[in-house]
Amino acid sequence: MEARFDGVEFAYGEQLVLDVPDLRFAEGRVTALLGPNGSGKTTLLRLLAGLERPLAGRVLVGGKPTTAARSSVAYAFQEAVFLSGSLRANLDLALRLRGLSPDERRSRLAEAATACGVVNLLDRPANRLSGGEAQRANLARALSLRAPLTLLDEPLAGFDERGRGQMLEELPALLRRFAGTTVLVTHDRDEALRLAGDLVLLREGRVRASGPGRDVFAAPPDPETAAFLGYTLIPTDAGLAGVAPGGLRPGPGDFMLTLQVEEVVDLVTNVEVVGRGNGERIAVAFPPDLPPPGPGERVTVSAPTEMVVTFTEPPPEPVDRPSRASVA
Amino acid sequence: MEAIWEGLVEAFRLIGRGDGELFSIAGRSLLVSGSATALAMLVGVPLGYLLGRARFPARTLILAAVGTGMGMPPVVAGLVIWLLLVRSGPFGGFELIYTKQAMVIAQFLIATPLVIAFTAASIQALPPRLPDLLAVLGAGKLRTLWLLAREARLGLLAAVMAGFGAVVSEVGASMAVGGNLAGDTRVLTTAIVTETSRADTERAIAYGLVLLAMAFAIVAVLTVVQQRSPR
Repeated sequence: MEARFDGVEFAYGEQLVLDVPDLRFAEGRVTALLGPNGSGKTTLLRLLAGLERPLAGRVLVGGKPTTAARSSVAYAFQEAVFLSGSLRANLDLALRLRGLSPDERRSRLAEAATACGVVNLLDRPANRLSGGEAQRANLARALSLRAPLTLLDEPLAGFDERGRGQMLEELPALLRRFAGTTVLVTHDRDEALRLAGDLVLLREGRVRASGPGRDVFAAPPDPETAAFLGYTLIPTDAGLAGVAPGGLRPGPGDFMLTLQVEEVVDLVTNVEVVGRGNGERIAVAFPPDLPPPGPGERVTVSAPTEMVVTFTEPPPEPVDRPSRASVA
Repeated sequence: MEAIWEGLVEAFRLIGRGDGELFSIAGRSLLVSGSATALAMLVGVPLGYLLGRARFPARTLILAAVGTGMGMPPVVAGLVIWLLLVRSGPFGGFELIYTKQAMVIAQFLIATPLVIAFTAASIQALPPRLPDLLAVLGAGKLRTLWLLAREARLGLLAAVMAGFGAVVSEVGASMAVGGNLAGDTRVLTTAIVTETSRADTERAIAYGLVLLAMAFAIVAVLTVVQQRSPR
């Protein structure tokens, strides 16, 4: 099911927090909303769920206004919220509110609980689950609805490192099996690239870039977006260069610069050499088999051309309406 | 000490033989205080819900006013209602003064702030995202209210208990607006005052015991409901 933003503006009081002239979430695709804290990701998700109404414009889900499309949407909030009672009762209630028959409820509940690994938690009080357990249960509830549009707000929040890694591996298959069109919110670049085919990059309430993840990542529209995507920004004679994460290596190459080493950090799997080059503080990972330079030494580092983007024009200024402040 | 013991024995005898006057007064107490509590719930729960959920400029001021109302002495509530209902008062034409209805109104005034405050507190204690969750799952407005009330049941039943407990045990308001008329507006608390002043200790103790038993029975039932976990 396709979802669409058409000339949408949303404000909290006098503060405009979202301005999305045109944005589409293609049917059957997984899209990650990526952006720093306060960029409007969750607000956008709440608009899609019909929990907020736009100040201007329309949000359409399957061609219908969100208020008429509630039964087509499943939403897993960032913080797992449950009613009192067992997890089974909570999952069952969600399915009951969608008007499903007892047999259908039983089968969907069992299927989603098994897939999300919460079968052994079904008879435990839902409000007493641990962080990771609650997130899995939260996901199971959303996925059991098999909604044409599934919204996931930070689905990996609340997991410990091991659980997060595990879920990162499991989630794509779960989404393929249970979800139709999926929109997920994250502020983690790697998470977005691993889970989603498409990216929508939000900053200060505006869409800065959107499209297939690889394209968005390869061509950030402005230095701020590039910096958020993990690019290293380096001033050059031609303007500002952005080197993709992992692009800088020791030794000569296409795009070269000299670093005055200031600090060497041993990260066991590699050595991070931090130095100053072209007036910027830059970190470069040295492979562990290469003897690292010492502080004060000068080293040459470089990046291949395909990992470098150049910004020659100043970034576009955010357009603020006179009556409203821009996003904080 | 002997007088108390004798009083207790006589009280149990009165209760045991089903003394007509005692049970008629007890029934009236239950009717007046039960009606006042029910009305307070009807008005206080929605208001408490609004105060717990909504955010508007005068909210804190209203909550403070409700808090003050919780501490209002029953006799003051009685005085206010007496001034309104007395024949020369603004609502004197309704001829409600010294009736059970007047007692219900006065007790309603006492119970409502308690119900509002307990409801608001219990609604505020719910996870803030709960209404959003229910909306997204497709629960209608009534279903959402029901599910939220079920979640807030500890506080809501505490509101009933506090409201009923306050009005069934008050004497000042009932005396002021009911007039303690025998066979008409005399309730357990005003009857205790009357019998004590007449030095009929046995009867006063019997009324006291029935009042305590009644309050205990109602609160016990509510507590059982309150503490039962939903499946």
